[in-house]
Amino acid sequence: MSRLDRMTERAARSLASRLSRRSFLGQLGALLAGGAALPLLPIARGAAAETAREDDPTRCEYWRHCAIDGFVCACCGGSATACPPGTEMSPITWVGTCRNPADGRDYLISYNDCCGKGYCGRCFCNRNVGDRPIYYPHRSNDINWCAGTSTNVYHCSTAIVLGVAAEAQPER
Amino acid sequence: MRASAACVLGLALALALVGEAPAQRLAASDYALQCRGCHGADGAGVAGRVPSLRGVAALLETSAGRARLLAVPGVRQASVSDERLATLLAWVALRFAPSGAAPAFAPLGPEEVGRLRAQRGSSQRLR
Repeated sequence: MSRLDRMTERAARSLASRLSRRSFLGQLGALLAGGAALPLLPIARGAAAETAREDDPTRCEYWRHCAIDGFVCACCGGSATACPPGTEMSPITWVGTCRNPADGRDYLISYNDCCGKGYCGRCFCNRNVGDRPIYYPHRSNDINWCAGTSTNVYHCSTAIVLGVAAEAQPER
Repeated sequence: MRASAACVLGLALALALVGEAPAQRLAASDYALQCRGCHGADGAGVAGRVPSLRGVAALLETSAGRARLLAVPGVRQASVSDERLATLLAWVALRFAPSGAAPAFAPLGPEEVGRLRAQRGSSQRLR
Protein backbone atom coordinates (compact mmCIF):
# COMPACT_ATOMS: atom_id res chain seq x y z
CA MET A 1 0.00 0.00 0.00
CA SER A 2 1.39 3.34 -0.85
CA ARG A 3 2.27 5.89 1.73
CA LEU A 4 -0.53 8.13 0.45
CA ASP A 5 -3.08 5.35 1.00
CA ARG A 6 -1.90 4.78 4.59
CA MET A 7 -2.04 8.50 5.39
CA THR A 8 -5.50 8.77 3.94
CA GLU A 9 -6.73 5.74 5.87
CA ARG A 10 -5.29 7.04 9.19
CA ALA A 11 -6.82 10.46 8.69
CA ALA A 12 -10.20 8.94 7.85
CA ARG A 13 -10.17 6.65 10.92
CA SER A 14 -9.12 9.49 13.18
CA LEU A 15 -11.86 11.69 11.88
CA ALA A 16 -14.42 8.90 12.20
CA SER A 17 -13.48 8.18 15.81
CA ARG A 18 -14.03 11.80 16.80
CA LEU A 19 -17.25 12.37 14.94
CA SER A 20 -20.73 10.96 14.52
CA ARG A 21 -22.09 7.56 15.52
CA ARG A 22 -18.77 5.75 15.92
CA SER A 23 -17.49 8.45 18.24
CA PHE A 24 -20.59 8.28 20.41
CA LEU A 25 -20.48 4.49 20.67
CA GLY A 26 -16.78 4.53 21.49
CA GLN A 27 -17.12 7.10 24.26
CA LEU A 28 -20.18 5.37 25.70
CA GLY A 29 -18.30 2.09 25.80
CA ALA A 30 -15.34 3.67 27.57
CA LEU A 31 -17.68 5.30 30.09
CA LEU A 32 -19.49 2.06 30.87
CA ALA A 33 -16.31 0.05 31.21
CA GLY A 34 -14.66 2.72 33.38
CA GLY A 35 -17.73 3.21 35.56
CA ALA A 36 -18.03 -0.52 36.18
CA ALA A 37 -14.39 -0.67 37.24
CA LEU A 38 -14.61 2.22 39.76
CA PRO A 39 -15.80 0.16 42.78
CA LEU A 40 -12.87 -2.17 42.21
CA LEU A 41 -10.39 0.56 43.07
CA PRO A 42 -8.65 -0.14 46.40
CA ILE A 43 -9.28 3.35 47.82
CA ALA A 44 -13.03 3.12 47.33
CA ARG A 45 -13.15 -0.28 49.00
CA GLY A 46 -11.00 0.89 51.91
CA ALA A 47 -13.23 3.86 52.68
CA ALA A 48 -16.36 1.73 52.60
CA ALA A 49 -14.80 -0.85 54.91
CA GLU A 50 -13.71 1.84 57.39
CA THR A 51 -17.24 3.26 57.52
CA ALA A 52 -18.65 -0.21 58.07
CA ARG A 53 -16.26 -0.82 60.99
CA GLU A 54 -17.20 2.51 62.60
CA ASP A 55 -20.87 1.48 62.47
CA ASP A 56 -20.41 -2.07 63.80
CA PRO A 57 -20.84 -2.38 67.61
CA THR A 58 -18.85 -5.62 67.60
CA ARG A 59 -15.73 -3.88 66.23
CA CYS A 60 -13.10 -2.03 68.21
CA GLU A 61 -13.31 0.72 65.58
CA TYR A 62 -16.99 1.36 66.43
CA TRP A 63 -17.25 5.10 66.97
CA ARG A 64 -18.57 4.81 70.53
CA HIS A 65 -15.53 2.74 71.52
CA CYS A 66 -13.08 5.65 71.28
CA ALA A 67 -12.29 5.40 75.01
CA ILE A 68 -13.18 1.82 75.92
CA ASP A 69 -10.75 -0.45 77.75
CA GLY A 70 -11.96 -4.03 77.97
CA PHE A 71 -14.05 -6.65 76.23
CA VAL A 72 -16.83 -5.40 73.97
CA CYS A 73 -20.19 -6.59 75.35
CA ALA A 74 -21.70 -6.84 71.86
CA CYS A 75 -19.31 -9.79 71.29
CA CYS A 76 -20.21 -11.40 74.63
CA GLY A 77 -23.95 -11.98 74.32
CA GLY A 78 -24.95 -8.41 75.18
CA SER A 79 -24.97 -5.21 73.14
CA ALA A 80 -23.53 -1.72 73.20
CA THR A 81 -26.24 -0.76 75.70
CA ALA A 82 -27.10 -4.01 77.52
CA CYS A 83 -25.19 -6.53 79.61
CA PRO A 84 -25.06 -10.23 78.67
CA PRO A 85 -27.46 -12.51 80.55
CA GLY A 86 -26.20 -13.45 83.99
CA THR A 87 -24.21 -10.25 84.51
CA GLU A 88 -24.98 -7.06 86.39
CA MET A 89 -24.35 -3.53 85.13
CA SER A 90 -22.19 -1.46 87.44
CA PRO A 91 -24.01 1.64 88.70
CA ILE A 92 -20.76 3.61 88.71
CA THR A 93 -18.67 4.11 85.62
CA TRP A 94 -16.55 6.52 83.73
CA VAL A 95 -17.87 8.88 81.07
CA GLY A 96 -16.01 10.17 78.04
CA THR A 97 -16.79 11.76 74.70
CA CYS A 98 -16.57 10.34 71.17
CA ARG A 99 -17.18 12.01 67.82
CA ASN A 100 -19.86 10.39 65.69
CA PRO A 101 -18.58 10.36 62.10
CA ALA A 102 -22.16 10.32 60.81
CA ASP A 103 -22.89 13.86 61.99
CA GLY A 104 -19.51 15.17 63.23
CA ARG A 105 -20.86 15.88 66.73
CA ASP A 106 -19.32 14.84 70.05
CA TYR A 107 -21.41 12.62 72.32
CA LEU A 108 -21.15 11.73 76.00
CA ILE A 109 -20.47 8.00 76.25
CA SER A 110 -20.88 6.02 79.48
CA TYR A 111 -18.73 2.86 79.61
CA ASN A 112 -20.69 0.87 82.17
CA ASP A 113 -19.00 -2.42 83.00
CA CYS A 114 -20.95 -5.67 83.17
CA CYS A 115 -20.00 -7.75 86.17
CA GLY A 116 -20.62 -11.07 87.90
CA LYS A 117 -18.96 -13.52 85.47
CA GLY A 118 -15.30 -14.03 84.57
CA TYR A 119 -13.60 -12.30 81.64
CA CYS A 120 -15.57 -12.53 78.41
CA GLY A 121 -12.33 -12.92 76.45
CA ARG A 122 -13.73 -11.79 73.09
CA CYS A 123 -13.18 -8.54 71.18
CA PHE A 124 -10.70 -6.92 73.54
CA CYS A 125 -10.40 -3.22 72.75
CA ASN A 126 -8.25 -0.53 74.31
CA ARG A 127 -8.67 3.01 73.00
CA ASN A 128 -7.98 6.01 75.17
CA VAL A 129 -9.47 9.28 73.91
CA GLY A 130 -9.69 11.57 76.97
CA ASP A 131 -8.44 8.87 79.34
CA ARG A 132 -6.45 10.21 82.31
CA PRO A 133 -3.87 8.51 84.54
CA ILE A 134 -5.25 6.34 87.30
CA TYR A 135 -4.59 8.99 89.94
CA TYR A 136 -7.57 10.78 88.41
CA PRO A 137 -9.83 7.82 89.23
CA HIS A 138 -13.05 9.38 87.97
CA ARG A 139 -11.44 10.03 84.57
CA SER A 140 -9.58 6.75 84.05
CA ASN A 141 -10.69 3.76 82.02
CA ASP A 142 -8.09 1.55 83.75
CA ILE A 143 -10.31 1.26 86.83
CA ASN A 144 -12.32 -1.89 87.45
CA TRP A 145 -15.68 -0.15 87.68
CA CYS A 146 -17.26 -3.37 88.92
CA ALA A 147 -16.27 -2.06 92.35
CA GLY A 148 -19.79 -0.64 92.36
CA THR A 149 -21.45 -4.06 92.20
CA SER A 150 -21.80 -6.90 94.65
CA THR A 151 -19.24 -9.19 92.98
CA ASN A 152 -16.39 -6.95 91.70
CA VAL A 153 -15.81 -9.51 88.90
CA TYR A 154 -15.39 -7.87 85.47
CA HIS A 155 -16.94 -9.43 82.34
CA CYS A 156 -17.25 -6.78 79.56
CA SER A 157 -17.98 -3.10 78.86
CA THR A 158 -20.93 -1.31 77.25
CA ALA A 159 -20.86 2.08 75.48
CA ILE A 160 -24.07 3.97 76.20
CA VAL A 161 -24.84 7.38 74.68
CA LEU A 162 -25.93 9.85 77.37
CA GLY A 163 -26.42 12.85 75.10
CA VAL A 164 -24.58 15.49 73.11
CA ALA A 165 -21.42 16.84 74.74
CA ALA A 166 -20.90 20.58 75.02
CA GLU A 167 -17.36 20.06 73.75
CA ALA A 168 -14.90 17.30 72.97
CA GLN A 169 -12.32 16.19 75.50
CA PRO A 170 -9.94 17.25 76.80
CA GLU A 171 -11.82 19.98 78.60
CA ARG A 172 -10.41 23.47 78.77
CA MET B 1 -28.68 34.83 105.12
CA ARG B 2 -31.11 37.21 103.40
CA ALA B 3 -28.23 38.80 101.54
CA SER B 4 -27.02 35.38 100.41
CA ALA B 5 -30.47 34.48 99.16
CA ALA B 6 -30.58 37.76 97.27
CA CYS B 7 -27.20 36.92 95.73
CA VAL B 8 -28.44 33.53 94.54
CA LEU B 9 -31.64 35.03 93.15
CA GLY B 10 -29.66 37.80 91.49
CA LEU B 11 -27.30 35.29 89.92
CA ALA B 12 -30.18 33.17 88.67
CA LEU B 13 -31.92 36.22 87.22
CA ALA B 14 -28.72 37.45 85.58
CA LEU B 15 -28.13 34.05 84.04
CA ALA B 16 -31.68 33.93 82.77
CA LEU B 17 -31.38 37.36 81.20
CA VAL B 18 -28.01 36.98 79.53
CA GLY B 19 -28.52 33.66 77.85
CA GLU B 20 -27.87 31.12 80.54
CA ALA B 21 -28.55 28.22 78.22
CA PRO B 22 -24.97 27.77 76.95
CA ALA B 23 -23.58 27.98 80.50
CA GLN B 24 -26.17 25.49 81.73
CA ARG B 25 -25.46 23.14 78.86
CA LEU B 26 -21.75 23.31 79.60
CA ALA B 27 -22.36 22.65 83.30
CA ALA B 28 -24.60 19.68 82.47
CA SER B 29 -21.94 18.30 80.13
CA ASP B 30 -19.24 18.84 82.77
CA TYR B 31 -21.42 17.07 85.32
CA ALA B 32 -21.67 14.06 83.01
CA LEU B 33 -17.91 13.94 82.49
CA GLN B 34 -16.72 14.79 86.00
CA CYS B 35 -19.39 13.56 88.42
CA ARG B 36 -22.18 11.49 86.89
CA GLY B 37 -20.13 8.31 86.54
CA CYS B 38 -20.19 7.82 90.32
CA HIS B 39 -23.03 10.01 91.58
CA GLY B 40 -25.51 9.03 88.88
CA ALA B 41 -27.85 11.04 86.69
CA ASP B 42 -29.98 12.02 89.69
CA GLY B 43 -27.07 12.81 92.03
CA ALA B 44 -28.27 10.16 94.47
CA GLY B 45 -24.97 8.23 94.55
CA VAL B 46 -24.82 4.59 95.66
CA ALA B 47 -25.94 3.72 99.18
CA GLY B 48 -22.98 2.99 101.41
CA ARG B 49 -20.43 3.67 98.64
CA VAL B 50 -20.96 7.00 96.90
CA PRO B 51 -22.49 9.97 98.75
CA SER B 52 -25.58 11.79 97.53
CA LEU B 53 -25.21 15.32 96.21
CA ARG B 54 -28.37 16.60 97.89
CA GLY B 55 -26.30 18.26 100.59
CA VAL B 56 -24.03 20.31 98.34
CA ALA B 57 -26.19 23.43 98.64
CA ALA B 58 -26.05 23.22 102.44
CA LEU B 59 -22.26 22.86 102.32
CA LEU B 60 -22.00 26.00 100.23
CA GLU B 61 -23.79 28.03 102.89
CA THR B 62 -20.79 28.12 105.28
CA SER B 63 -17.12 28.84 104.72
CA ALA B 64 -16.15 25.57 106.42
CA GLY B 65 -18.54 23.69 104.15
CA ARG B 66 -17.13 25.37 101.05
CA ALA B 67 -13.58 24.45 102.07
CA ARG B 68 -14.66 20.89 102.73
CA LEU B 69 -16.43 20.59 99.39
CA LEU B 70 -13.38 21.85 97.48
CA ALA B 71 -11.20 19.35 99.38
CA VAL B 72 -13.11 16.34 98.04
CA PRO B 73 -10.63 14.61 95.69
CA GLY B 74 -13.07 14.37 92.79
CA VAL B 75 -13.87 18.09 93.09
CA ARG B 76 -10.32 19.24 93.61
CA GLN B 77 -9.03 17.13 90.70
CA ALA B 78 -11.88 17.89 88.31
CA SER B 79 -10.37 18.45 84.87
CA VAL B 80 -11.91 21.88 84.38
CA SER B 81 -10.85 25.47 85.04
CA ASP B 82 -11.66 27.19 88.33
CA GLU B 83 -14.29 29.25 86.56
CA ARG B 84 -16.05 26.22 85.10
CA LEU B 85 -15.81 24.36 88.39
CA ALA B 86 -17.52 27.27 90.16
CA THR B 87 -20.37 27.14 87.65
CA LEU B 88 -20.56 23.36 87.88
CA LEU B 89 -20.79 23.36 91.69
CA ALA B 90 -23.56 25.96 91.64
CA TRP B 91 -25.39 23.88 89.01
CA VAL B 92 -25.06 20.74 91.16
CA ALA B 93 -26.17 22.53 94.31
CA LEU B 94 -29.33 23.93 92.72
CA ARG B 95 -30.21 20.85 90.68
CA PHE B 96 -29.95 18.29 93.46
CA ALA B 97 -31.14 20.37 96.40
CA PRO B 98 -33.94 18.65 98.32
CA SER B 99 -37.34 19.54 96.93
CA GLY B 100 -38.96 22.38 98.83
CA ALA B 101 -35.64 23.73 100.05
CA ALA B 102 -34.59 27.23 99.08
CA PRO B 103 -30.79 27.17 98.71
CA ALA B 104 -29.24 30.31 100.11
CA PHE B 105 -25.55 30.42 99.32
CA ALA B 106 -23.32 33.13 97.99
CA PRO B 107 -22.13 32.37 94.45
CA LEU B 108 -18.72 30.76 94.15
CA GLY B 109 -16.15 32.70 92.20
CA PRO B 110 -13.14 31.34 90.32
CA GLU B 111 -10.77 33.07 92.76
CA GLU B 112 -12.29 31.32 95.76
CA VAL B 113 -12.37 27.99 93.95
CA GLY B 114 -8.72 28.33 92.96
CA ARG B 115 -7.67 29.32 96.48
CA LEU B 116 -9.55 26.44 98.15
CA ARG B 117 -8.39 23.92 95.56
CA ALA B 118 -4.79 24.87 96.19
CA GLN B 119 -5.13 24.81 99.97
CA ARG B 120 -2.64 22.32 101.37
CA GLY B 121 -3.81 19.75 103.88
CA SER B 122 -7.47 20.47 103.39
CA SER B 123 -8.10 16.86 102.38
CA GLN B 124 -7.01 15.74 105.86
CA ARG B 125 -10.05 17.44 107.30
CA LEU B 126 -12.26 14.93 105.56
CA ARG B 127 -11.09 12.08 107.75
